[in-house]
Amino acid sequence: MNVKQPATADAIAAQKPLVESTLIEPAKTHQVAQFKHSVPLTTCRVDPTGRYVVAGAQDLDIQVWNLQTSAQRTLKGHTSWVRSFDFSKDGNTLYSACWGGDIKVWNMADASPEPTMTIAAHKGSARWVRLSPDQTKLATCGNDLLVKVWNIADGKLLQTFAGHERHVYAVDFHPDGQQLVSQDLMGFIKIWDLQTGKQKRGIHASLMTGYDKKFAADMGGARDLQFSPDGSELASAGITNVVNSFGGIQDPIIMLFDWNTGKETAQLKPDKAFQGIAWGVRYHPDGFLIGAGAERTGKGELWFHKPGEKEFFHTLKLPRAARGLDLLADGRHLVVPHSDGSVCTYRMTAKAKVFGT
Amino acid sequence: MRKLLCCAALFVVGAAFPANAATPLHERIDSAVGVGNEQFEKTASTLADDATFLRRVTLDLTGTIPTSDEVRVFLADESADKRTQLVDRLLDSPEHARRMQYVFDTMLMERGPDKHVPAAEWQTYLRDSFSENKPWDVLVTEILTADGTDEKTRPAAKFLLDRELKAEEVTRDLGRLFLGRDLQCAQCHDHPNVNDYLQRHYYGLNAFLSRSYLFKNPKTKKTTIGEKAEGLVSFTSVFTQEEGKTAPRMLDLPEIADPEMPKEPYKVKPAKNVRSVPVYSRRLQLADAMTNPSNVAFQQNIVNRLWALMMGRGLVEPLDMWHSDNPPSNPQLLAVLTESLQENDYDLQLMLREMALSKTYQRSSHVADGAEPAAETSFGVGLLKPLSSEQLAWSMMQATGLTANTLAGLKAKQIKADAKKKKESPKTEDPAWQEEALHAALNRNVTTFVKTFGTVGAQSSQFDASANQALFLRNDPLVQSWLVPSGNNLTARLKQLKTTPEIAEELYLSVFSRLPEKAETEQVAAFLNSPQAHTDQDLQQLVWAALSSDEFRFNH
Amino acid sequence: MRRNQGCHQSDHRVARRQFLAGAAGGVVGLSLPGSLAAAEKIKGQHKRVLQVYLQGGVSQLESWDPKPGTEFGGPFRAIPTSVPGMHISELLPYTAQYMHLLSIVRSINLKINDHQQGRLFMEKGRRAGEFPYVGSIASKYLAPPNSELPGYIHISTRGLNDSTAAFLGAQHSQLKFEGVKPPKNLAVPQGLDQTADARRIQLRQQFNQQFRRGRSKSLTESFDASFEQAAKLMGRKSFFEKAPDGKDLERYGKHDFGRNCLLARALLENDATCVKVTHHGYDSHAENFNFHLEQLGEFDKTFAMLLSDLHERGLLESTLVMVYSEFGRTPKINVRYGRDHWGTAWSIALGGCGIQPGAIIGKTNDKGTAVAEREVDAGHLFHTYLQALGIDSTNDHDIAGRSIPIGDPTAQPIKELLA
Repeated sequence: MNVKQPATADAIAAQKPLVESTLIEPAKTHQVAQFKHSVPLTTCRVDPTGRYVVAGAQDLDIQVWNLQTSAQRTLKGHTSWVRSFDFSKDGNTLYSACWGGDIKVWNMADASPEPTMTIAAHKGSARWVRLSPDQTKLATCGNDLLVKVWNIADGKLLQTFAGHERHVYAVDFHPDGQQLVSQDLMGFIKIWDLQTGKQKRGIHASLMTGYDKKFAADMGGARDLQFSPDGSELASAGITNVVNSFGGIQDPIIMLFDWNTGKETAQLKPDKAFQGIAWGVRYHPDGFLIGAGAERTGKGELWFHKPGEKEFFHTLKLPRAARGLDLLADGRHLVVPHSDGSVCTYRMTAKAKVFGT
Repeated sequence: MRKLLCCAALFVVGAAFPANAATPLHERIDSAVGVGNEQFEKTASTLADDATFLRRVTLDLTGTIPTSDEVRVFLADESADKRTQLVDRLLDSPEHARRMQYVFDTMLMERGPDKHVPAAEWQTYLRDSFSENKPWDVLVTEILTADGTDEKTRPAAKFLLDRELKAEEVTRDLGRLFLGRDLQCAQCHDHPNVNDYLQRHYYGLNAFLSRSYLFKNPKTKKTTIGEKAEGLVSFTSVFTQEEGKTAPRMLDLPEIADPEMPKEPYKVKPAKNVRSVPVYSRRLQLADAMTNPSNVAFQQNIVNRLWALMMGRGLVEPLDMWHSDNPPSNPQLLAVLTESLQENDYDLQLMLREMALSKTYQRSSHVADGAEPAAETSFGVGLLKPLSSEQLAWSMMQATGLTANTLAGLKAKQIKADAKKKKESPKTEDPAWQEEALHAALNRNVTTFVKTFGTVGAQSSQFDASANQALFLRNDPLVQSWLVPSGNNLTARLKQLKTTPEIAEELYLSVFSRLPEKAETEQVAAFLNSPQAHTDQDLQQLVWAALSSDEFRFNH
Repeated sequence: MRRNQGCHQSDHRVARRQFLAGAAGGVVGLSLPGSLAAAEKIKGQHKRVLQVYLQGGVSQLESWDPKPGTEFGGPFRAIPTSVPGMHISELLPYTAQYMHLLSIVRSINLKINDHQQGRLFMEKGRRAGEFPYVGSIASKYLAPPNSELPGYIHISTRGLNDSTAAFLGAQHSQLKFEGVKPPKNLAVPQGLDQTADARRIQLRQQFNQQFRRGRSKSLTESFDASFEQAAKLMGRKSFFEKAPDGKDLERYGKHDFGRNCLLARALLENDATCVKVTHHGYDSHAENFNFHLEQLGEFDKTFAMLLSDLHERGLLESTLVMVYSEFGRTPKINVRYGRDHWGTAWSIALGGCGIQPGAIIGKTNDKGTAVAEREVDAGHLFHTYLQALGIDSTNDHDIAGRSIPIGDPTAQPIKELLA
């Protein structure tokens, strides 16, 4: 086998003659696998046990690839594009949210999963879905300006948080399980107290939105939202410096906020020439941060950032727009959904060497 | 066929009027105007008085009204040929070149937005051309020949470049502006309403330019014209599906066949980022074909346009609708003018001069007492001409004294600057310097008027007035600001005057360029002495009412 | 006879006759479309036009011609409307309830993908050349005599330069409102009170009387008419400046478009003839879906309220409603989640005066990539608008010695759409 060519099949289950480097070196990140769908992808997620990657696309289906065998399954049932996923900790249950406003629940252990539950969660797009740390609740948000919390056992609505004045783009539980955070089109971040059911405080990330005077419309919002593992920091990916939003001329940005003070701690931007949208952000267990974005002409980039630094310490240029980002539990692999219909896995180590050479 | 007969008829008629070099053109014009109507002199209006003539011709030839001093001097002048002297003086002035610049810029570019050649460069080119009295055929040849590559002639290329060589624009405008024929409808089919406008006319014109294209130099980023050596023009009627083919041609004149294609058809071969130049250029045939003496339409078009400019209505009206069902109102007169244009090598200034000296031009716009108003087409009465945007702006600035005030300031500034450099300042007395300095200082106001009163696109000789314009005249702060007494402007002068007759006289001389009649003086007095008067606004609004009146709005 | 096929011979003959009368200096008395409309020019009864122009090119797939679940369908679903069997995008839930008042044309192919050219074609019904916009034609042929308002008012929040009247003349060109801001120069100059203003106007009239003696009146009369129109507008200053009713604002939305549509309603109720409201920002080369959510979210409820108000107040019968753009958007979704310019297969909605309601004209193919049935272009639409308004678009404008076909002689109205 020719290891010099990028592997097109699974490379996580390392082939025997190869010696995988295990040392995590972000600067050596390289593509190791590609899974292809015929339609541009909108998002992806890996299950916490590292068995599957699921992807939403510009169609009504969910694509599932087995990371070990590359076997592909298609989950049917949504009536609109799927924009957000979450998995249960054991990886057996998948939650998906679509532009139609529905949340669907899938048992991944089934050979050909059908939705086990459908929650008509929002009037207008359900943009985001997240599972609570204790695995009992779902948080969703959508174009009805609401943030909602559901009981996953029976799909019943537990709480509704109203207060956003524009479309809510993303929501997540704080790792302490007591608070929710959500961010809207105008950059407003709201922190909700699950105990009292009320807004606790707010952060205005005013940089993350822009009004295009020429077109008389706002553009902005969180395109991904992630807490650091210890809950001390919040990262939000999106856009800033809207110049001509209808032509996609604006800058990607990842903003970091100190959770305790609510103060912004970093504005991370790629090179000026890269105009577009930051679609993904993840904290690596080792402490560094990874971002992914799409440039307006269709290229992509992965960005790597160390705590405390002002700029990315490494940028990996990709030939295809990155429309999201997820991290495998092994800490060595990234998965990225691309605008050309492929999901690619990237390994953050030196390239594998053939044994004996 | 019909058209050829029609043209032939014109020449026969023309020949019946022996071109007598001894008879000046303006007299021949007057003879032709009244020809065939024995009652003409009886029903026609008398000549306009001196003041009216002065205002009229100053507006027509230099684009503004005279100053009150100029009116006084002209009225006092007792020389018999003072009108002729005046016309010659005006034609010789730098303001005349500016006026022609405005007229021809509006005519040829129709106030469209700038594309590739800045308006200022094109306007300077026009002004220089008129100031040296460039013959019309030469000017048109330059305009239709320039390809934009030579910086010296690039401004002339604006006509083609700013129309981006778009066939539907360039072809239509060549027809409308240089031939007096709007062939637009003939693009898709022979004109449904006009028997003379055929699809082949449109495509014949189109064929001159169909091989040319815009070329953007990758280094200089300047857009110029390149041309291919091949490409034929064919057309299909959307009605009849009839097909036709044509080589370049001027209306019904013979087609201009391409020479045999040489082995190497290009001087510069087409390639990426290269402006191709063919050995034989169809585009370069355009100017010759256009200005060729056989192309009568070209000559008739310009004399008709000049006539309309001076007399307020074309012999053919609309100016771009020449066809056999819309014949010239006075074919003999047209023949006299066209012949004269040819004889005098397309000298536009001479045409304007002779027109201005004619009795026809100088007739009062008042109908003779007791007479029925004559048809406009008889030219037996002076027609009202709405002031163009530029004329209105300059006239208002003149009337209110803004022009004089500004000039005084500019002169003082220049003299001071020269004194610092220990230079003498003879140039502040130079009319050319004055005109340019004033233009630079006040052009912004002109632009505001053009935006408000001008129309973008095909210019119509119809008068139009919109609510926006009236609101501008009534309430816009710009005009109001000119009414505030300042320096030696009109309201400041009026303020100094003690009696209402003095005020009325100064007002009428400055705004209406004439002396008031008794009743008019009384009217002014009544306004100023009314029980409601005595506000500090009275004099300002007196001037305003005069400025926004019919008498001021029109050249009469 | 090679001429006039596709044109009506008799019309041309009439046009020619008028034309000659005009050339001979006679009075032109037979303005054809004008006389047709004359009977209806009674106050409160005359025919009107409401144009809602979705500037930049609204996506047909996100509005009138949804294709959910297909390759280029996008994320939004189709919803049923008040017309059985008619579905439109879920982005228009309010409008969907009023579709029995509207019809959709789904088969427009302009063969143009350029903003300006598309706009000019949609407004003039001609691909090229200087012709008047629909609004200027309405002003010319439908506006009642002595109308208190200009015939063609365009409410827009951003400048687009339109030269709308062509040969119909400045009095028929659009009067532009920057949003609900009234036209410029409505207030008398500072330092002038009403009495002084009246005095100066009176004095101006005195100057004019003097001048007009023994002179032809046609030019001075139109100059005066412009002053009269200006005075009327000034007299309506408080009408223009009146803050909208709070309840109305609640229903229409407090955004610019809501306010603009409320002004449009007020103008139509006060006998304006053509009111155009431009809603900006549909040129979504990036983030098409989020932007259509934003823009149509603003459009939908407001437009539905305006439409139902016109209906309830009995104005819809005499008011042609047009919802249109310069083109639609590509079925193909680009890498920025955008849709690009697309004049090839797109839709508009029409309703009210002279329009058969609840109809769907034409269709696109399953993926929306081409017109499948009843292809029309802006030339056909133009005839349709005018004939819906009772203007015979196959006739000629008769303008100062020039007769110009009103609509493109090679196009015809969509007959089945006319009531």
